[in-house]
Amino acid sequence: MTKQEFLTALREALTGLPPSDVEERADFYAEMIDDRMEEGISEKEAVAAIGSVEEIVLQIVDEYPIAKLVKQRIQPKRRLSAWEIVLLALGSPIWLSLLIALFAILLSLYAVVWSVIVAFWSVFAALFGSGLGTLVGGVYLLCTGDIPAGLVLLAGALVCAGLSIFAFFGCKAATKGAARLTKGIVLAIKKACMRKGEVQ
Amino acid sequence: MDMQLKRGLLDVCVLAAIKSEDSYGYKIIKDLKPYIVLSESTLYTILKRLEGAEMLTVRTAEHDGRLRKYYHITAAGHRRIQEFKSEWAEMMSIYQFVTKEDEPHD
Repeated sequence: MTKQEFLTALREALTGLPPSDVEERADFYAEMIDDRMEEGISEKEAVAAIGSVEEIVLQIVDEYPIAKLVKQRIQPKRRLSAWEIVLLALGSPIWLSLLIALFAILLSLYAVVWSVIVAFWSVFAALFGSGLGTLVGGVYLLCTGDIPAGLVLLAGALVCAGLSIFAFFGCKAATKGAARLTKGIVLAIKKACMRKGEVQ
Repeated sequence: MDMQLKRGLLDVCVLAAIKSEDSYGYKIIKDLKPYIVLSESTLYTILKRLEGAEMLTVRTAEHDGRLRKYYHITAAGHRRIQEFKSEWAEMMSIYQFVTKEDEPHD
């Protein structure tokens, strides 16, 4: 890849960023390539030494705060003409409410995921609580001489204890899964903002 | 290496690379190469972070018909290096403790 090809590809890949940011980074890499070439390294090798555009984009996506990316993405890239503004305003009851509805649906779906997690943990809490309760009850009954009933309750306590151990590991895994889902969603939003998009 | 630890170490490394004289991007990478390998994108992030923390300043100068950015350490940058040196003394004693041979028990 030549220096120009690399820089063009880089600028394209970083379209989602503020233009000043893109230029600053492009200048930085251009300088790096030039310095290497000054030492006698060929243009092709100099570009290769920098790493691929994909690697650079991935690193930026990782570090760049998501708020900045979203803000940059939704800003109009060109000034709106008068009739465009009028049309937007007139149509706003429709597109605005659709947008809000869509956002509300997506948010509810995400909330449902966490509600399920909460439900799982409630099951664990119930099992654990029941285990404790039947243990206490069983010991009490044994002490008051009601051996058969006491043993039954103790058996129940053991069952609850065993089930709650399973439930605990299940809850832990589910919670980790939900956390990973959240991270994946954030990353996807960032990537979507950075992709070269349709004209606003 | 732990990411947080590495990030802090890299910051100090870059500061050390410019502590005696101003330097530029590629030279910093070259100077650090025997000790730690730094990618361009990592260096960019570090330089921006150090600039934001006012531990270095940037100036553009002409070199061979093109523009080159030179990085200059500030007093705050020097202080960070001093901090690192004293942190390191503490780290050494912790290291000695962790790698101490188990003493025979009675």
